[in-house]
Formats: sequence, C-alpha cells, structure tokens
Amino acid sequence: MSGSPAFEGIVKSDYEHGFVTEIESDTLPPGLNEEVIRTISRRKAEPEFMTEYRLKAYRHWLSMQEPRWAFVDHPPIDFQAISYYSAPKHLKEGPKSLDEIDPALLETYNKLGIPLEEQKVLAGIAVDAVFDSVSVATTFRETLAQAGVIFCSISEALRTYPDLVRQYLGSVVPYTDNFYACLNAAVFSDGTFVYIPKGVRCPLELSTYFRINARNTGQFERTLIIADVGSYVSYLEGCTAPQSDENQLHAAVVELIALDDAEIKYSTVQNWYPGDAEGRGGIYNFVTKRGDCRGARSKISWTQVETGSAITWKYPSCILRGEGSVGAFYSVAVTKGRQQADTGTKMIHLGRHTRSTIVSKGISTGWGRQTYRGLVRVAQRAQGARNHTQCDSLLIGDRCSANTVPYIEVKNPTARVEHEATTSKISEDQLFYCRARGLNAEDAVSMIVNGFCKEVFNELPMEFAVEAQKLLSISLEGAIG
Amino acid sequence: MNALLDAGLAPWLRAIDPGPIPAWWQERRRRALESLQTRPLPHSKEESWRYTSLNALLDQGFTAPVQPFTPPPAELDALLIPGLDTHRLVLVNGCFAPELSSSTPLPEAVRIGGLSNWLADDPDLLEDWLGTAIDGKAAFFTLLNEATLADGLAIWVGRGLVIEQPLEVIHICSGQAEPPVAQPRLLVHLEAGAQTTLIERYVGLGKTPTCTNAVIEVSLARDAVLRHERIQTESNQAFHLSGLYLVQDPGSRYQGIQIGLGGRWARTELNVRLQGPHAECLLSGLYVAGDGQLLDYHLDIEHRAPACRSLEHFKGILSGRGRAVFDGRVLVARAAQKSDATMTNRNLMLSEEAEVDAKPQLEINADDVQCSHGTTVGQIEPELLFYLRARGIEARLARRILCLGFASEIIDQIADESLRGHLNSVIGQRLG
Amino acid sequence: MSQSGVTSMLSIKGLRANVGEREILQGLDLEVGAGEVHAIMGPNGSGKSTLAHVLAGREGYTVTAGSIRFLGEDLLALAPEERAQRGLFLAFQYPVELPGVNNTYFLRTALNSIRRARGEPELDAVSFLRLMREKLKILHLDDSLLKRPVNVGFSGGEKKRNEIFQMTILEPSLAILDETDSGLDIDALRLVADGINALRSAQRSMILVTHYQRLLDYIQPDYVHVLAGGRIIRSGGKELALELEQRGYGWIEAELAA
Repeated sequence: MSGSPAFEGIVKSDYEHGFVTEIESDTLPPGLNEEVIRTISRRKAEPEFMTEYRLKAYRHWLSMQEPRWAFVDHPPIDFQAISYYSAPKHLKEGPKSLDEIDPALLETYNKLGIPLEEQKVLAGIAVDAVFDSVSVATTFRETLAQAGVIFCSISEALRTYPDLVRQYLGSVVPYTDNFYACLNAAVFSDGTFVYIPKGVRCPLELSTYFRINARNTGQFERTLIIADVGSYVSYLEGCTAPQSDENQLHAAVVELIALDDAEIKYSTVQNWYPGDAEGRGGIYNFVTKRGDCRGARSKISWTQVETGSAITWKYPSCILRGEGSVGAFYSVAVTKGRQQADTGTKMIHLGRHTRSTIVSKGISTGWGRQTYRGLVRVAQRAQGARNHTQCDSLLIGDRCSANTVPYIEVKNPTARVEHEATTSKISEDQLFYCRARGLNAEDAVSMIVNGFCKEVFNELPMEFAVEAQKLLSISLEGAIG
Repeated sequence: MNALLDAGLAPWLRAIDPGPIPAWWQERRRRALESLQTRPLPHSKEESWRYTSLNALLDQGFTAPVQPFTPPPAELDALLIPGLDTHRLVLVNGCFAPELSSSTPLPEAVRIGGLSNWLADDPDLLEDWLGTAIDGKAAFFTLLNEATLADGLAIWVGRGLVIEQPLEVIHICSGQAEPPVAQPRLLVHLEAGAQTTLIERYVGLGKTPTCTNAVIEVSLARDAVLRHERIQTESNQAFHLSGLYLVQDPGSRYQGIQIGLGGRWARTELNVRLQGPHAECLLSGLYVAGDGQLLDYHLDIEHRAPACRSLEHFKGILSGRGRAVFDGRVLVARAAQKSDATMTNRNLMLSEEAEVDAKPQLEINADDVQCSHGTTVGQIEPELLFYLRARGIEARLARRILCLGFASEIIDQIADESLRGHLNSVIGQRLG
Repeated sequence: MSQSGVTSMLSIKGLRANVGEREILQGLDLEVGAGEVHAIMGPNGSGKSTLAHVLAGREGYTVTAGSIRFLGEDLLALAPEERAQRGLFLAFQYPVELPGVNNTYFLRTALNSIRRARGEPELDAVSFLRLMREKLKILHLDDSLLKRPVNVGFSGGEKKRNEIFQMTILEPSLAILDETDSGLDIDALRLVADGINALRSAQRSMILVTHYQRLLDYIQPDYVHVLAGGRIIRSGGKELALELEQRGYGWIEAELAA
C-alpha cells in the first residue's frame, strides 16, 4: 500500500477506555489450587454440587495442555501468577438497587457510556454489569420479572434456581471441552444467567458489560442462556479493560440452549484493551462460546464485532441438533498494531434440514495477524443440510497477514455446502471514485470498509450497529494516515 | 527407526542394488534415514494427515522387490493407449527400463536416462540436481523414497528447445509373489525457454496389491513451459503415494493436470514454489472415488516472488463408500505483491455413504493481492436430471452424462484426443 | 373437444394437482386430437405452467385426482423419460444450463434413447451430425451451437430456439410449448414460430401455453382455452384469443366470480 498517499503515516490511536477505577477490592492472592477453588465457591455461597463440579474440572485441567494449533504467538502464561477472584469490597452481598452501588463504579460505567440509568428505559435495554469478577447491577429486573424472564448473575441463579442451573450448566460446553473452558469451569467467578419461559418474547434487549479492572486479575465469567419452547431473546455483551503493561487473561464460557421454535440472537462488541503499538500489554481473549439448537426449528445466531484484545481465540459455534434448526455466524474482526486474532465458527449439522450461514469479514492493518478458522460438518443423518459460507479478508498495509482455514466435512449427499473466500486490498478504483466525489482518503476508506462489513452490521440491533460502526472507524483511524 | 520397524515399514528399506554409488549418494540416503528416525509416523494430529489414516497401508504390508522385473510384452502392450503418439519411457518398480522404452532418437539437447546412466555420464550435474526442488521440505514418504534411492529417470531439456512429441513416462508397479512397493524418482528440468509436454501414467499389472511411492522433482528455468499430465489408473487394490516438488523461475509456465481414477488408497502431494516473478502455475485435477476408494490430495502452493499467478481447480465425484480429501494451501509471502491465486474445489456426491473432507486454506502476508477460494459439495441438481429425463434419457444414463459433463471441464484440458477418449471411457465405466 | 374420427392424442379428465400443500389444478378437462393445435391462455398463476410440468412428470407436483391418457396409455404411471420416449415433448419456459455437456452429444443421446425405447436402430455419429446440420438451417441457428455446452452462455432467445431445435430433432407426437414466446423480440419470435409451423402435421399435436395472443398471430391454433383458477373456463376457436387480447382477463374473472 506504500506509494498511496492515503495510507502514509501510521498514527497511533489511543485506547479510549484505558482508565483504572480506584476502589477497594477484595482480591485473592495469585495462585491456583484446590483451596482457592473451595474459597471461591464458599465466598459465593454456592451449593455443594457446584463446588464438586469445580473441583472435578480443576483436576481434569491439571491433565490438559494449552492448545497450540491456533496461528497466534504469545509467551507462556503463568497460571500461578494470576489472581482468580477479585470483587469490589462493597459488593460482597450484591447490590439491592442502584443506590447501593459505589458511586465510583457508577462513574466508571458512565465513562464507558454504559446504560445503567433510567433514561435507558427508552432504549429498552436491561443491563447486567460484570466488574472484574462480580456482577454489580442488574437493571429492569421488575419489567423482566413480569414477563417471567429470569435475568440475573449466575451466582444468584445458583442460589435461587439451583436446579435450573444444574440441569443446563456444562451441557453445551462440558468442562472436558478444551483447556480454557476447563479452567473456566474450575474458577469462574460470575457471569450472567438468562431464562426465557415458554412462548415469551423477551420485552427488552438484554445486555451485559464486562470490565476487567484490577491488575493481574483473570476474568472467567460464565454465561448461560436458556430459551424455552417458542421464546425469543436478543442479548448483547460489550467488553472493555484498563490499559496495562501486563497481559491479562480473559477465559469466558458462554452456553446457549434453544428448545423447540426458540430463537437466541447473541451479539458481541468486543473492545478489550489491545496492547500498545509495540505489542505490550493487552487482553488475551480465549473464549469458548457455543449454542445448542436442541429443539426443532430453533435458531441461534452469533454476531460479533471484534476490535480489541491483544490475542483473540474464539469460535462461537452452533450444534444444529433439532430438525430444521438454523445457525448463523456474522463476524467483523479488526486487527491492527500487533494484534492477533484466530477466530471463526463451527457449524455442526446433526439434524435433518438444518441450515447455517457464515459471514466473516476480516480487516487486518499494521502488523495485525488474522485467521478465519471454521468448521462445517454435515453428519450422515443430516439429510438436506445447507451451509453457505462467505469469508472475506481486507488487507491494509504490507506488514499484516490474513489466513483462511476452513474445514469442510460432508457425509450426506443431499447436503449442499458452499464456501467462498476472498482476500484483497481496498480497491484503488473504489478509493479513487470516492475521492473524485470529494471524500478525503480516511473517510473513503472508512466508507468502503463499512460497506465491506455491512452484511454483518445489519445483523446487530440498531443501536449497537451504530456503535459498532463508530468503533470500526476509530480502529481504522489508528491504522491509516 | 523404531517407529518404522514397529509399523512394518522396514521391508520398504530394502532396495534394488544400484551398483556402486558415490559417497554423496550414500550420504543422502543416510541423512534421509536419520531424519526418518527422529520423526513419528504420520498421524491424525498432523494437519495434513487429519483425514487420512495410514492403517490400511500398514496393515497390507509391502516388500520392495530386490530383483529387477520385466513384464511380458503382451501385458505391456495392453497398457498402451491406442492413438496416443508419444516418446515412451517405462519404469518398472522404480527402475528405468530402456528396453521397454522408445528407441527413436530425440534432439541432442534432450538428455534422458536412468539415474545410474547419469551417474556414469554426468555425476556432478546429478549431484547438484537431485533434491534441489525438494529443498528441505521433504514429507515423510519422500524421505522414505530418498532413504532407498536406487534408480529412477531424469529428463533434461536444453535451452530454447521445443519438443512437439509428448514424452510419456509409464510407471509400472508389479510383483510376482509378495505385494511390491516401488519407489520411483523422476527428475525433470527445462532450461530457459524450453517447451515440452510430459504425460506421466501410473498403471498396475496383475492382481496383487501394489504400492507406489513416487517422488517427482520438476524445475523450470526462466520462461520454460511445461505441460504435465499425470494420470493414475492403478487397480482398486493399489496404494499410491506421490509427492511432486515443482520450482518455477521467472516467467515460466506450468500447466499440470491430475487425474485420479484408481487406487484403494491414493495420496498425492503437490508442492509448488513460485520463486521468480511472473511465473504461472495452473493446476487442475479430477478425482473419481468409487466404493472403497480413498483419494487424497494435498496442495501447498507458495508464492515467493511478486506478480505470480496460480490457479488450482479440482473437481471430484464420489460414489459408493468413496472418500476424498482435498487439502489445499496457498501461501503468499510478504515479498509476493501482485500475487493472483484462485483455488476452487467442487465435489459431487452420488451416494449416501460417500464422504468429502475439504480444507482450502489461504495464508496471505502481502496486501496487494487477489486471492480467493471456493468450495462446494452437493449432489446432481434435480432440475438438470429432470431436463435430461424429459428428453427421453433414462435416469441412470442421465446421471452418467451429467457426471461426465461435470468432469469434462478438467478432462477437456488434456491435450491429446485419444487420451481424452480413453479417460472418458474409464470414467464412464467407473460410474457404472 | 376432438372431432369424431380424429384419434385421441391426449385426454385429461378431472385433473387436480397440488404444489406442496396448495391445490393449483382444480378439476381440469382437456381433449387433444391428433394433428390439433391447442392454445392454453390465462392470467399469471392460473396453473398453465403447472399443467405443463404435470404432463412432463416433474417431481414436486402431486396429482390428487383425475386421469391423463396419452395415446391410450396412463401417462401418470410413466417416468419423465418414458413419457419422452412415447413422444411427449416439453419446451421449457426456462431451459436449463448444462455446463460441460456438449449439445450434440446431449441430443444424440436423447434421440437414441428414444429410438432404442421404440425398438428402432440408433443413429451413428455421422448420420446424426448430418441430421443436426440439416435442421439447424431451418431455425437459422449457427453451427457453433453443436460444440457448445447445452444452453450455457446462450441468450434468452437462443435458449428458446434451442428448445425448438431439439423438438425438430426428436420429432415428438405431442409438443407442449411453455411460454416459448416470452422474452423473444419480434424477429426471434418469427423464427421460432416458423420452426414450430414447419413441424405441424396430421400426426403431431401441440399445446401452446401462453399469456399473450402475440404468438397466435404466427401460429394459428385450432382451439383456444382459457385457464383460470385451475380449470378451463372457456373454450373456443382462435377468435377467443383476439377477444382476450382486446378485453384482457378481467372480464372472464368477473364472469367467474358472478
């Protein structure tokens, strides 16, 4: 791209959310052993089965090795140097209302632009905020309660609805699944629990914001969403973290379960701290997300806009078990500076007439390294399965890379699987056309890249689509002169 | 070595005595063996062996024939394709058999001979040439070939020479009692501006299961043009491994066509290094896997210089319990700006038990590139079938016509009409 | 419909057919005698194309009641190719592209399949090519057609002409022309109509399925039927087509509703 004045002079963009909140924390000393796990479980007053589950997971984890197959490089992680529990001190009992929340915390959320206040009723968003490891506030619980929707922290769910949690937790992502999911099962500190009863269309968009605050803290949240027969829910998560020279580990697990005719839309805007221009600091985002279309005609769609983290390693997936169930994955991922992302999806077609769509848009700039890794598997009994995959990469600058690693496994002749992938730079013709119409280079690039990502943004709830576009423009500002 | 012994591969290491070989040759064999000793056997955790199990091959057990073998002339004649006019070169169990090959003179600038002849005539050139295209990238079975290297064929085409008549290399694998393993080595080098067509055919004789483990090294100097048609029609009992290593200098052009019809278990690895600007590599392939066959393709295309073009286009038809693997990788190095690469893989599944595993991979490290890949897996379109049936063609025949139509995109690239006709009839038979 | 003394080509009685759950044909009767040309007209969605597809035996169309006899045989019991082998030909509204399948090869295979089924000797490549070239001239089609894959890269008009060309080679007893006029300019229409007229004979019947009267300026039908709501609601001579052209379909639907 050198020679084109549009890309000269790489400007370092500042991470907007890189502040630390000064509040007192109750943090366990770094290190991991069975006693730490018992302590986490005790502090959260969990039922016995949960403590046992965690310990089982921990013992299994000791026998596992870190995955090495992803196209990412990082120094070895010292799992004994991480603190596995950190809670703001005032919140040990959990807040009863907004008034009980530490004002400094509220200020944090205001800085982040997180909708905790009443005005957000208008936007129709209910928010559960997870600060380090503990869920701090859940708004609009009454509105939701009237509809019969359960939306609370997973700690609370374990105390209040233990049977429900026990029935579903680990049923989509068993603790044996992979190294980081196993670690999460052992040490997860909090997260969100959602249950939508039969036939209920959730009246609000549900939302969780995650923030890592304390240094040397790992964040291991756990999300469990169950959409009962004929229900619908749209869920959005957003993520930020303070600037820090140290790498911080985020190893979350998200499990979705959709029963007959249920639909779950899960959207993520991930903007964790990506590290500085030389690649110091930043979040290691090693996440396991999986949805189980257990019921007939159920639908699960994952939409993600990934602009942050030093390293992203995640593959939101769908198990299409129910007859006629539908899975979708829409992704925009941006890597700039020294960021690395190895992300994609798995669509496992087990049921008859199951359908899946994959749209992945990768943008790589600076020294960014990006990999789309996806699996489409059609089992022998998945008569009439359909998949369409479109996977496009855009390269800006000559130091970045883009890889595409799709796996296609088909065992049924009536299946129709189509995979298309392209890699190219921004077309000079398009750029010139925009500029000839009076746009400056940066706006032109932004417009073209936004157009490139349009298909994915269209899948986001309106308000977040706007946010995602802004985020994308900000990310590109950093990368292009 | 232990892994090799445990796996029963030791008999592979016996070789036909090539006569006295120089120290450098012995050293190559020793290094290959050493390297094999430090490697585990290929296993499913290795990406390129993810979908392919070695078990069938190991269970069969093969022995390298130590005695040269000459097939009866009648059987040999049956292997020839009527109407195909070529300069014929025959290798039996990996050894060049001049008595079975064409004796018509070729232009002086073409030098063809068995490795032992080369050793006698021009040992220095052979030493420099052998292994150059592999350049340290030897796969497991290439090392096995190297460790027992005894003979093979080397073709050198001189500067600017254009040969009209195609060269045809026939690899015959055959044995009397024990299932034989043949490990041929073929070297092909085109000097600057040379142009030729090479047809390489893999055929089997007799009913004993056979195993071929071929290594082919091709190097094209500046502006050389090679058309390379590789046709594998071994028996359905055969095991086949072939590793092609291709290196291209600036402005050279390679058109390769792979036809895989035979074999119970056939694996083809194509390694391409575009090391000079404006080189062009067109690779296409057709595999037809019937009941009980596994046809396994691995492409590793490296764009190392700017402004090169590569096009990979593979199609497959699967019936019965046929299986196919297509694992293609295109790498664009940082320096390879203005690269143009397109990879497509289309599969037609005709039966409930067939299976396709595809992994078309792009690794792009330069920004000013046009790279794409596309993969499809599907069955015959019901509308097409109906259209033919509505014209009076019974369903079975209609299916065969549509399959041949699907295959024709690749078959039609074969230059010689007799060979095309031969292939169409073999495919027609296989489809039933 | 057929006059006494004329052999019956096609006899449809009380035909009801569904596409999926929806009933499209709702009790259709039609008699076509040998050598007769029938035009079936009707508004969009009246069931014209469904009728054409049911006659050719396309999957996805379920006959729920009624009978179709073709040259005295139960047509519904036959596979699509058997129907073609008995002499039924459908000119598709949307001819299908067959990448990689050469036109000549395709047609020769079709013709020989039909001949084989009839116990006639197959044509060798040379005599078939001669036949092709002869018939190409009639439709003013280019020789290059012979080498091209079936319908691939053809313009709309070329595709339609290719359908009629196939018909001249296969010489069916009953040709059903599904909207063969749609998408043709006036010159192409004339060529196609000439081709069709050249095939008219006392032994060959035709059913022209069309929305517009235009085609009937060039091919004079013996009978015109109006199909609406899945049944034939009016039948008459060619003057009925002119009436439809002038007054549209509205009045018929109004009459039907009354």
